[in-house]
Amino acid sequence: MLVSWKYRPRNTFIQRLDPRSRLIFLACVILSLTIPNIWDIRLIFPLFLLTLTLYLLAQIEWKDVRRAWLFIFFLIFFIVGLNGMLSGRGGPTSVMNDTSAPLFTLPVYFPGTTWGFSLEITLVRIVFAITQMTRMLSMAILALPLPYTMDPNIYGVAFRKMGVSDKVSFTMDLAFRFLPTLARDLSITIDAQRARGYEMDSLKGGIVARLRRLAPLIVPVTMQSTVTGEEVIDAMDLRAFGTAPRTWLKDLHFARRDYLFIALGVSIFVAFCVLKWGFGIGEFWIPPALVAGLN
Amino acid sequence: MNEFPLVIENLSFQYRSRPELAIEAVTFSLRQGEMLLVAGSSGCGKTTLARCINGLIPRSYGGTRQGNVLLNGKEVAEMSLVQVAQVVGTLLQDPERQIVASNVYNEIAFGPENLGLPRDEIMARVEQVLKRLKIEHLRNRDTFTLSGGEKQKVALAGLLVMRPSILLLDEPLASLDPASAHEALAVFRSLADEGASIVLVEHRVEDALAARPDRLLYMNAGRIQYLGQIDDLPPSIDHHQVKLPAQWVVRRAQQTQEFVLPVSAPAAEKDAEVLVAFEQVGFAYGPDLPQVLHNVNLQIRRGDMIAVLGPNGAGKSTLVKHAIGLLKPVSGRVLVKGKDTRELSVAQVARTLGYVFQSPTHMLFAPSVREELAFGPQNLGFSKEEIARNIRESVQTVNLAGFEEYPPLGLSFGQQKRTTIASVLAMQSSIMVMDEPTAGQDYANYTRFMDAMCHAEGTKKSLLSENFAATLFITHDIDLAVTYANRVLLVSNGTLLADGCPEEILSDFALLESCRVRPSSLLRLNLELLPKTGKFLPAEALVQYVA
Repeated sequence: MLVSWKYRPRNTFIQRLDPRSRLIFLACVILSLTIPNIWDIRLIFPLFLLTLTLYLLAQIEWKDVRRAWLFIFFLIFFIVGLNGMLSGRGGPTSVMNDTSAPLFTLPVYFPGTTWGFSLEITLVRIVFAITQMTRMLSMAILALPLPYTMDPNIYGVAFRKMGVSDKVSFTMDLAFRFLPTLARDLSITIDAQRARGYEMDSLKGGIVARLRRLAPLIVPVTMQSTVTGEEVIDAMDLRAFGTAPRTWLKDLHFARRDYLFIALGVSIFVAFCVLKWGFGIGEFWIPPALVAGLN
Repeated sequence: MNEFPLVIENLSFQYRSRPELAIEAVTFSLRQGEMLLVAGSSGCGKTTLARCINGLIPRSYGGTRQGNVLLNGKEVAEMSLVQVAQVVGTLLQDPERQIVASNVYNEIAFGPENLGLPRDEIMARVEQVLKRLKIEHLRNRDTFTLSGGEKQKVALAGLLVMRPSILLLDEPLASLDPASAHEALAVFRSLADEGASIVLVEHRVEDALAARPDRLLYMNAGRIQYLGQIDDLPPSIDHHQVKLPAQWVVRRAQQTQEFVLPVSAPAAEKDAEVLVAFEQVGFAYGPDLPQVLHNVNLQIRRGDMIAVLGPNGAGKSTLVKHAIGLLKPVSGRVLVKGKDTRELSVAQVARTLGYVFQSPTHMLFAPSVREELAFGPQNLGFSKEEIARNIRESVQTVNLAGFEEYPPLGLSFGQQKRTTIASVLAMQSSIMVMDEPTAGQDYANYTRFMDAMCHAEGTKKSLLSENFAATLFITHDIDLAVTYANRVLLVSNGTLLADGCPEEILSDFALLESCRVRPSSLLRLNLELLPKTGKFLPAEALVQYVA
């Protein structure tokens, strides 16, 4: 059986919005940053402030999202941020081909050996890392509240009303609820294995050794997920799912605020496209004051 | 309406992957408003018969089918799944497997939505079913927050809303506490009285009798061995395969002159060494969440064989998770061999206390039984020689010798369960804790399993007594407490309501009722004969005391 996210009804502007307008707005923000390939912090930062405001309007309790945020912070700061600062990968050409003078050098050597290399950290890469993290956060801060502030009963119908087929809509509904179910199964398995003396902190050694040590968790959880999947399919078959066009009991209606919200999202997308392709604004930008300060 | 909504004629089926027939020459018909109880041990063909009725055979399971299954006169193989779903409503063994929606209202509406019915009609039908099953108060609840009994009512509502003329109930009592099971049986009876034809598949015949089924169909090795009135069962029906009322078992044992030694666990000693102590333990899963345990005081002593009884959600699992240190008390303390669990890691407690989880799939992972059994001792730092010796002894103890190189996940459910027990045996903990040791097994298998674990003979101790200083098991089956335990704990609403010897605790019916525990026929017969026996005994052992 699938469980749901920690959703609770709240009387907030965000939760009064139609789920479709929230999904469309999220798509607009992602497309605004990716299609015209915006790297200018002067455009990204205001967008970040807007999405942060929307996040705060959702009024989610910190304790509900603490773990999710820790994971996202880890991902953004340690993987995206450090990668950006150290290699510039994933950035525009000006960052990838950076030839500016290094601010400092970071030696990376295996302890006790001469194996390794020195990383040259430049101003360009530091600014790039900050830009990249702000860009990612702008999207994450908008996506993260969705499962906590969207009624699980309208996942499926939201997709159906956007023109997606019955089967795909219900698949999206089930997929949304799969993650918390996986978390529940993982927690039971961790308990079961801890009762057999298994300790998470004893994950030592190389990658293969670590993966072997994770097998007591991965195998039962995978088995459980497979079983749950088969059970859900049987249960749906026995109640005639997918054999005829479906009636979705819940109906959704756009309100004025939804049209305005979608219009805002589309406007941002159009504005970023026009700025980038019409006026050449949106390329990677370093505050001149910083460059001057260094010189 | 058809007088016989279900007619089965000379039905045989062989799965593609198996050499033998799963069912053979099955013929019967079901009248409108009739309730047919289908019983038999694991592998007798009950599930295959159910799949032939609900159309999963031949659609989802490949093989060769012969004969006819007629639903209101139409052959099921020629009907679409939508048509079958409107005639046969199937309630699966575990309601958790049936529920797909996240909210009760949507779950009930799921079937009619799939049929593409108009919105108004769906809402009218849902309201009608909510009222019929008296679950209007559940309409806005999230399905995953429901109790076992509530889940089953919601799953049943999801079927009734499709207005089927036949209800196929596949072991519907398996995951319910006794009181919820009794309520469910009353609902089934009333549905039959209103005209529904019901096929009730259940190996616990004694419990199913509460629904007053009209006939019993007993299957053995894929064939019908008996079809007729229930109170007229022929002696050929083996009472070891299905659970019959204790008086019936005694009568049969008398007829077949079966003689069982009156053995059970030695009485618990009140001054024996204390292994685990709960002192004023209180617990809640979060600061804003309700208290799950309230001031629990309990001592587990050497020689104890404890059965923990109580309704779903009473706090039984939470209680035992405190003993292993998986949960730490919010107030009070738990001492394992004198040490506070707050100062011990779970691995340290595991040296004293081995915990077998309810579902083997949450534990088993290794490519072979040998590696599975080595996992615990390796974690606890045993030497290679010790591990090899422990594995050798454990597989023999649970009768798995010869299976050492088999993948545990490829074994039968009963064997998987024994593998989990062996994996705890190999750790040489001094206390064994089992959460619902009989869950998911049929009557024949679980009595065989419990007998193998708990049966003592003459001076020979039981397997559990031989290997563990104390054993504690959580169960819904009061007969396990009657037959195997020397101490009973009754838990309700996070409180330990009673703690004592089975003969004393289980004789207080008012107390049992407050914990949603229902006295069984075995308990009643034991209480009746207690002046002669002096202690509780299994049904077969009572033969010599019955006049």
